[in-house]
Amino acid sequence: MSVPALDELPKGYELPAFPFELSPDWVREYVASVEDEAIGEVDGDFVPPMAIAALALRALLEGARLPDGAIHLGQELEFVRPVRVGEKLHASARVVSRGERQGWVLSGVEMDVTAADGSAVMHGRATATMPAGGAT
Amino acid sequence: MTLAVGTELTPVTKEVTQAKIDRYARAGGDGNPLHTDPAFAATTQFGGTIAHGMLVLAYLSEMLTANFGRAWPGGGRLKIRFKGPARPGDIVTALGRVVREEGGVAVCEVECRNQRGELLVSGEATAPAAGEGA
Repeated sequence: MSVPALDELPKGYELPAFPFELSPDWVREYVASVEDEAIGEVDGDFVPPMAIAALALRALLEGARLPDGAIHLGQELEFVRPVRVGEKLHASARVVSRGERQGWVLSGVEMDVTAADGSAVMHGRATATMPAGGAT
Repeated sequence: MTLAVGTELTPVTKEVTQAKIDRYARAGGDGNPLHTDPAFAATTQFGGTIAHGMLVLAYLSEMLTANFGRAWPGGGRLKIRFKGPARPGDIVTALGRVVREEGGVAVCEVECRNQRGELLVSGEATAPAAGEGA
């Protein structure tokens, strides 16, 4: 099934919510890819907080395609509590701003990550620009 | 752990390579060819591949974990702007300094720079000043 490109989505659009799991294998691969040497020093088998954002983003990209050439301009993140390896979470997101100028779209997307009991785990807001029309 | 106002955070330095960018793309599920396809990236304003912004932020986050311990994943906030791209071959250093304390929260100016001193990321991070530590 094809999914819409982010540049096509209007302000107020709710992206399909997705569950995701911070599986041990995925966390291991993430930590290796970013070479995080600090999280292992924190007691509690926690995942790097940016891993939550990265995997939530990956889940949400199931519902909205990032056009080729998209550029990440800014990011806000709030980590409500530490998350342990193996936790199952839920990501939801919405387009909160959209503008277009000279063939480029500027979009703001807010994202919430919650635990199985509905409690907040992470909030975020990303700003990105991309070619209008999903140019490749 | 508590860090006094004026404290320079212990920096984190990483070398960016195309192999690391490709590995992050697979882990993060972000296959934007701007990061992974040199031929496509050569046609863009950047003239070549660049690292994912979230990869560079992972270095910043590692620095904050190293300095604040559990207080960072357990109550940290980050607000940044990307100022320039990190490219394969760059040596990226994440830096920070505690600039004030507000209601038990340490407020830090944070940034990432490459080996030429060019600013890649700039912003502010906060963490509970008296967290449980590592």
